[in-house]
Amino acid sequence: MAAIQLQNYTLVITGAPYSSQAPQTALAFARATLAKGHRVDRIFLYGDGVHLASALSSPPSDETHWPGEWAGFLKESGIPGVVCIASALRRGLVDDAEQKRHELVASNLLEPFIIAGLGEWVESTMTSSRIIYFHAGG
Amino acid sequence: MSTLIVIDQPPYGTWAGREALDMAFSLAAFDQSVSLLFTGAGVNWLRKSQKTDGIEQKSIEKNLSAAPIFGVKAMFAEASACARYGLTIENMLAGVAIAENSSNLLHQYSHTAFSG
Amino acid sequence: MKPIATLHILNKAPEHSRSVECMRSLRAGDALLLTESAVLAIATTDVHDPNTTVYALKADVLARGLDDCASETHLVDFPAMVDLTAQAQNIISW
Repeated sequence: MAAIQLQNYTLVITGAPYSSQAPQTALAFARATLAKGHRVDRIFLYGDGVHLASALSSPPSDETHWPGEWAGFLKESGIPGVVCIASALRRGLVDDAEQKRHELVASNLLEPFIIAGLGEWVESTMTSSRIIYFHAGG
Repeated sequence: MSTLIVIDQPPYGTWAGREALDMAFSLAAFDQSVSLLFTGAGVNWLRKSQKTDGIEQKSIEKNLSAAPIFGVKAMFAEASACARYGLTIENMLAGVAIAENSSNLLHQYSHTAFSG
Repeated sequence: MKPIATLHILNKAPEHSRSVECMRSLRAGDALLLTESAVLAIATTDVHDPNTTVYALKADVLARGLDDCASETHLVDFPAMVDLTAQAQNIISW
């Protein structure tokens, strides 16, 4: 078997936690990617996937806390977790800066996720050798 | 890298198509090669004279008509889906090419993406 | 491992319109990876093109109690899924 060339990945998650399996599949895939020696350039949350970055998710204690699991993985690995600003603001996900800008009552972006534009995804299309999408199933 | 954004979800009832267009326009804004393929119920984005006042959404028709100006290279509509939904050259937005075999198109791009 | 032209990653149930579209798009030399709800295809009698290798994510197969039906499908774990994505020339996430 020929050696597999090392790649650099961007993972785009568009499926929301607790309404799709996407965050679980993507996290298991991300861990395996690093274990295999590949690089992960960034995680990009788009569409309904932005709910994964909510600091307010409170699932029952016997269910996996997907935002927490993801935040822990991002902190350990140092991989940037980027939340699309347009998707996020529409769906009520804001950091402190957006809270001030839009004069909202609270912010709820879970650390270490950051909010940025689709330009981050565009950059991935230019620099990552692999882009894998994790959509909602059905 | 040349990107094909595929829109297979119908207009207005879901935000997926709108968010797919945002992806296409972002790539174009950064001078990246991008084309759009409308398949299945997604071809209904291409119908002329969408009057959206009553559902309080912005019509996407103007944005789509301006896609070539923004740098979107090509817009394709799957032939069988157009036939199914009664879309013809007469009632469809200008500038859309009919793709007889959309799966052939998929294999011509290095990067294919759905918005959700 | 055989070279893969396009790796199709499918996570929708067999009746989903995107599953139908994915099956129509398979070509000789491509590979199909079933994940999440898409592994239910294993329980059906749908026939796959013999020119396409079909893989299924083991955790999803086991979760749905389908390991007895999976004889003709290559079951893969996440490290093997990573290998498939690393060696495929193109990837479509359906």
